[in-house]
Amino acid sequence: MNGPLIVQSDKTLLLEVDHERADDCRRAIAPFAELERAPEHIHTYRVTPLGLWNARAAGHDAEQVVDALVEFSRYPVPHALLVDVAETMDRYGRLTLSKDPAHGLVLTTTDRPVLEEILRSKRIIPLVGARIDQDTVAVHPSERGQIKQTLLKLGWPAEDLAGYVDGEAHPIELAEDGWALRPYQKQAVQNFWHGGSGVVVLPCGAGKTLVGAGSMAQAKATTLILVTNTVSARQWKHELVRRTSLTADEIGEYSGTRKEIRPVTIATYQVLTTKRKGVYPHLELFDSRDWGLIVYDEVHLLPAPVFKFTADLQARRRLGLTATLVREDGRESDVFSLIGPKRFDAPWKEIEAQGYIAPADCVEVRVNLTDAERLAYATAETEEKYRYCATTDTKRKVTEALVRRFAGQQTLVIGQYIDQLDELGEHLDAPVIKGETSNAQREKLFEAFRQGEISVLVVSKVANFSIDLPEATVAIQVSGTFGSRQEEAQRLGRVLRPKADGHQAHFYSVVARDTIDQDFAAHRQRFLAEQGYAYRIVDADELLAEEEA
Amino acid sequence: MDRMSVQDRSPQDPAPAGAQPRSLAEELRARDDASLAALLQARPDLITPVPSDLTQLATRAGTRASVIRALERLDRFALQTAEALAVAPDPAAYDTLLALLAGDEGDPDVTDALPHALATLRGQALVWGADDRLRLVRTARELLAPSPQHPSPTGLGPTVTEATAGMSPGRIQEILATAGLPTTHDAVSAVASLTALFTDRARMRDLLDTAPADSLDVLSRLVWGPPYGQVTADPAPRLRWLLDRGLLLPTAPGTVVLPREVALHLRAGRAHRSVEPSPPAVVPVGTHRPQVVDATAAGQAYTALATVEELLKDWDEGGPAVLRAGGLSVRDLKRTAAALDVTEPIAAFWVELAYAAGLLASDGEADERYAATPAHDEWLELPAAERWTRLATAWLTATRTAGLVGGRDTKDRTLSALGPGLDRSAAPEVRHRVLTLLATLPEGAAPSADSLTARLHWERPPRGTTPQTSTPQTSTPQTSTPQPASPQPASPQPASPQPPADDLRTRLARWTLSEAEMLGITGRGALSTHGRALLGAPPTATTPGAELAAAASRAGRLLAPLLPEPLDHVLLQADLTAVAPGPLERPLADTLGVLADVESKGGATVYRFTPGSVRRALDAGRSASDLHAFLAQHSRTPVPQPLTYLIDDVARRHGHLRIGAASAYVRCDDDALLNEILADKRSQGLRLRRLAPTVLAAQADPATLLDGLRAMGFAPAAESAAGDVLIARAHAHRTPPRTAPEPVPDGPPVPDATLLRAAIRAVRAGDLASTTPRKPAPAPAPTPAPARGGTLPRTTSAETLATMQAAVLTGEPLWIGYVNAEGAASQRVIAPVRVEGGYVTAYDHTADEVRTYPLHRITGVAELADDPA
Repeated sequence: MNGPLIVQSDKTLLLEVDHERADDCRRAIAPFAELERAPEHIHTYRVTPLGLWNARAAGHDAEQVVDALVEFSRYPVPHALLVDVAETMDRYGRLTLSKDPAHGLVLTTTDRPVLEEILRSKRIIPLVGARIDQDTVAVHPSERGQIKQTLLKLGWPAEDLAGYVDGEAHPIELAEDGWALRPYQKQAVQNFWHGGSGVVVLPCGAGKTLVGAGSMAQAKATTLILVTNTVSARQWKHELVRRTSLTADEIGEYSGTRKEIRPVTIATYQVLTTKRKGVYPHLELFDSRDWGLIVYDEVHLLPAPVFKFTADLQARRRLGLTATLVREDGRESDVFSLIGPKRFDAPWKEIEAQGYIAPADCVEVRVNLTDAERLAYATAETEEKYRYCATTDTKRKVTEALVRRFAGQQTLVIGQYIDQLDELGEHLDAPVIKGETSNAQREKLFEAFRQGEISVLVVSKVANFSIDLPEATVAIQVSGTFGSRQEEAQRLGRVLRPKADGHQAHFYSVVARDTIDQDFAAHRQRFLAEQGYAYRIVDADELLAEEEA
Repeated sequence: MDRMSVQDRSPQDPAPAGAQPRSLAEELRARDDASLAALLQARPDLITPVPSDLTQLATRAGTRASVIRALERLDRFALQTAEALAVAPDPAAYDTLLALLAGDEGDPDVTDALPHALATLRGQALVWGADDRLRLVRTARELLAPSPQHPSPTGLGPTVTEATAGMSPGRIQEILATAGLPTTHDAVSAVASLTALFTDRARMRDLLDTAPADSLDVLSRLVWGPPYGQVTADPAPRLRWLLDRGLLLPTAPGTVVLPREVALHLRAGRAHRSVEPSPPAVVPVGTHRPQVVDATAAGQAYTALATVEELLKDWDEGGPAVLRAGGLSVRDLKRTAAALDVTEPIAAFWVELAYAAGLLASDGEADERYAATPAHDEWLELPAAERWTRLATAWLTATRTAGLVGGRDTKDRTLSALGPGLDRSAAPEVRHRVLTLLATLPEGAAPSADSLTARLHWERPPRGTTPQTSTPQTSTPQTSTPQPASPQPASPQPASPQPPADDLRTRLARWTLSEAEMLGITGRGALSTHGRALLGAPPTATTPGAELAAAASRAGRLLAPLLPEPLDHVLLQADLTAVAPGPLERPLADTLGVLADVESKGGATVYRFTPGSVRRALDAGRSASDLHAFLAQHSRTPVPQPLTYLIDDVARRHGHLRIGAASAYVRCDDDALLNEILADKRSQGLRLRRLAPTVLAAQADPATLLDGLRAMGFAPAAESAAGDVLIARAHAHRTPPRTAPEPVPDGPPVPDATLLRAAIRAVRAGDLASTTPRKPAPAPAPTPAPARGGTLPRTTSAETLATMQAAVLTGEPLWIGYVNAEGAASQRVIAPVRVEGGYVTAYDHTADEVRTYPLHRITGVAELADDPA
């Protein structure tokens, strides 16, 4: 009874990382528990019904879960919790969706009372057809997604064994010239393919696009890729052309500006969810080809209407890619029932340890407002407050000092307010990329930055989205979109790409003390710390003093 | 008690006086002191008050209330034995009884178990007499023998003799003839002849062999009871055949009964469909390693301690208010449940446990609240194992049952936690019994709750339930024939189909199982080693002290090494959390509880540092350097830089602004003048304090300050809130607009002259009318009974009882005086229906419904006088 795991009454699991059996334990609990926080000493996992059903879907049974808990737990595991785990897991698989040669899509049960129970639910009645025998009921093929969603809400998740249509075949190969899929990427593709549909969870910068490309090469069929925005769509296209046998002509972009439908089509969530006169005019995209695979990028951002469309696509293979299964809107269950269970998961730190992500040094620099600024801040309107404190003059001095310190290294200065960025650009003598910068100009500057011709680049929030700046070593964040953790992850991702020279990455946040800027920063810092990135807080005065010394 | 010796002494003879006791009193007299002591221990109600002699003891042992009490405490087989005795002839021989229980074929289990059951009944003074003349105490016989009102659990009907009591001799002779028996001279011998036929297995078999198949069918439906059926005036042939032979006997118009002897023949002599001579075994459903059980139980024991501590800490600064009716409001219980992160029933359990252990109570103030007792503070100082034993022993012996909370009492009032109405005297006994049964299982075995409750049912059958006679009821005899002539089960069902699943003892047992698990007496459903040790003592309240305490301390010693050792360190992390990987030493936990917020509980505790929590610690008088030292001392890991920074940052701002209260201030641009005021001794009473060079704060109010300073020779001016100088002028104080008070006259208003005149005239007119002489009217009829006038009838209680009983027989209405529970006297006219157990059940003409009156409340009774129209 001296294991590394402590089971808490709120069903969180605390794993002591430095324990000698921590690795074994992590492997044992990873299938059913979601990693919630990973600071340096104790990692927190959470056991949820979805997690347990994910484990069931992946072929683990309750006994394995209970064994893992009992074996690694330091203290006796409360009996009630074990019973609860067993009961929850037992609910998965009592109902199965399958193809019947005579009746089409059917729902079968191994436990008759369960079927009776759910057939009495008002929400199920419109979704099912005739009762075929005592254990089987027909399901309207169009309601395959809906019924899975509803059953999950009723607490009886159905196992979907009804299979997939192959879709229109299209030759796709990985062009592995001088590079290869990393082992964990291969594993992710395999797990996904054997599971049929599901979600692959990989941290930012771990190469999720390649998992998508690998899956496409496996499916060898026409593919619809759904991404968050246009920049990301271009990014995907670029990667696919580079990494696979696909040519630029075979890949279409379906966005606000272009409406191309090609064997591989990349569409943005935004264009799909555009509503005109109460209808979604771009929905025909789903039916425009016999898609063999649908890839959802950033599943955790999937907008609600897309879930609705996805419910109708249950006969097609679906791959979800994300850095975290945790959704701010709590629709994890819809991801589970409509896209599929989690098929692969690798924690950030582990991939970092394998050298695929660069380690980072995170520092928060606190600057003091001058007395005049404090007064201005105190009297500012609530909606203006953040702007006041985020754009204080002192930040400029600190940023300049930091840029000087890392002179010669590729440095990104990231900010929210254009005035501030322009001013910084002027003082640092660095080009500024903002919304109004033309695409050509952007490309040119990015290329120059990549080539090392420019070492400092000031960017606005356009950099939040998937632009690839592989050689950035230092990121200095002077203002952000309030406390968005999503943004923090993206920005951190900018410097986490592995460095050619093995330089340590630096991530600086410049924050105004005693203001809401500091509160927002605290929120983001907590996210960093929970991801395992230790950070320091330094005073701007100290930093400037060091500079002068 | 020793059957053989008794039989040896007197085989058959009508024994000489002294050898065979003639009454229970006589038998009791012959008993030795030990067996009398055993009797009194088993039936403690017999010695309250102490009877004067054995005759009185025997009489008391035969009273209805006492016998019911004793019967209720019998195990199922002893009760079945008593039931069998009640349907046997009185007195009965041992072998007769054995045959009734074991049937014609015999049952070795019954044969083995019967002597013990009989010994139990004898020990309880329910059965007396030697083995050849076993007698059930008369009251018990009355209670258990079948009668139409009180069907027996055996499902047997009356004997032939009883059933033919009112039958015409001619009819009996007809029956004899049809049954193929010779006619006799009188009814008594005829009945005896019939009885002899019915009890003779061989002849009876021959008789039934001749019966039509559907007649046998009728018999088979009645055989296991209820033995009554309904027939029409013109019974069907199959019933006619039975009636003609006395196999069914009429009891009332339209009702027939299966005589006991016939039923016994059909049952092969058995009084019960199934006898349960041995207790059902408690079946284990799972077996865990004893170490696992002990560890789980110990973990839960620790959780129990932590929960109770947390509960009382939560209530530390003013617990919830006490409801006017006593107890905790539903909302407070909800809040407590949320605070403890448990469901409400479980929260109720912890609250009740703390209450039973004397750790919390009502503070008794005018605004009554619950709060921890001083005993709680002492309890906190004890080592963990002792704290646990305090809780565990309190739980074992408590009659308060938390499981009832949220339910409703007989008056449909919600039972609230800590409120009245939660005491169940059976609770300690059931708890102890359940745990004792657990202890009979091998170590680490967890029983199934059902087998456990089945066992408890056997040991003390729930009142009014006899599962053995119940199962396939002959509820719908009208299977094929639609005619109404088939016997229907008569209205009073002899046995309720199944023991109600929610009888109190079953519920207590289930609660015991779950509560024992929560307390850590059991682990994974099996009794832990320390739980076993706790069981040393019986739960009687008479020996609360030494024995239980000894068992408890044994349990505590066993538990102590299993409880997690309190830790003196935590792990600090950069995400501003601290994880205590186990229970913490109390001072550490207390300080950390102030310095950080608890985020998750369980085996470990996760604390989160926030600016708010750090400020709380600073408010509590800690300095930043204290906190740094504290964290450095107790952290196994280096203190993360962001945490150090957080503390310094909060400390930097802490106390920057200072707040205080002052009643008035003195403001002056000349600080020399203020110096002068401060230096002046006369200013001491004003309690001035210098806040800034030009400002003094005073604790005196502005008027006093003005006067004081004037007295010192200064010329101060008052200032308004906005800083203007107030014009000092005598200020007349006024109320807001008010109306003058309405006069409140004493008595009615004085009448005016007009009214007075009119009144006087009316009085005079009335007076004149009454005094004018006139012819005498005929005298009114004298009232027939003086009672109608209002006095209550008064008779002695014996007279009352006799009159009542007579009225039951005659069916005549009576006139009674009755005093209700509030002491209000009334008169009622009632027609008594039944007099028993000190109550009279009667049709109340006054209220027009059937009511029950306690006899002692009836002041007296009188027969109704014939009303003279």
